Amino acid sequence: MSLDRLMQVPGVLAAFQYSDKGDLVAHQLREGTELTPQVLDLLAHTCVANMAVATLEARGWEALTGQAGFEPVQGFSLVGLDWSAVVGSNFGVVVRNRDADYEEAFSALGQCKS
Amino acid sequence: MRIISQLMQIPGVIAAGEYAYRGDRYSFEGNLSAEHARMASILCRSNTLSINMQSEIFSSFAEDCGCKPVQGWIVRGRDTSVCVVGNIFCFCQNTPGLLNDVMTIMRAKVGDIEENPLVYMYAKIGGDVNEKLY
Repeated sequence: MSLDRLMQVPGVLAAFQYSDKGDLVAHQLREGTELTPQVLDLLAHTCVANMAVATLEARGWEALTGQAGFEPVQGFSLVGLDWSAVVGSNFGVVVRNRDADYEEAFSALGQCKS
Repeated sequence: MRIISQLMQIPGVIAAGEYAYRGDRYSFEGNLSAEHARMASILCRSNTLSINMQSEIFSSFAEDCGCKPVQGWIVRGRDTSVCVVGNIFCFCQNTPGLLNDVMTIMRAKVGDIEENPLVYMYAKIGGDVNEKLY
């Protein structure tokens, strides 16, 4: 699975790969989008941080409530005004909200290997 | 019908609730105890505030980049997802098709969907659409 494949996710504006620390490793942008590599780099850092927080919360929630099924966290999405960032396993996509297929995006990201 | 009740009509939704941006008021339906719903409300409010702060940072680098204001967020767990849009949260199973349906209903709540998604959704679930909606 590559960025080329991620660029085929419905409504995708950008696809990117990031390191464990959140640094942008590679990216592709749809022509005409207002997104920039700098925004993608910030998004990647944000998503790494939010994935870590989500893992903390999932672990705590399972321990406190006895409910299972939250861990391991597979992915995270930030739903903005016009687009959503969907990330997981060191890859991410930005998709237009009106065309967003979140399940397809999570599924495609789940097949990515660093 | 309230959005929470609408969400709870969808097979696979575990619980849904509404929290206040300020204070500790909340309401919920589904398979959560009152104490767990209170905890979920605090968790969702905290994460939403954090993500709004992050979008402020994005906009300082790229104004009108299409992120701000943030509508919500999703955490995809192994078998369960947590979805938040506005001040509504929803715990749902990772069954095929469910996440997109839940997000359609929730984004309609904040006016992001122009069509009539509720009629569409209830038509998929089956039964009397008008009776359930109106």
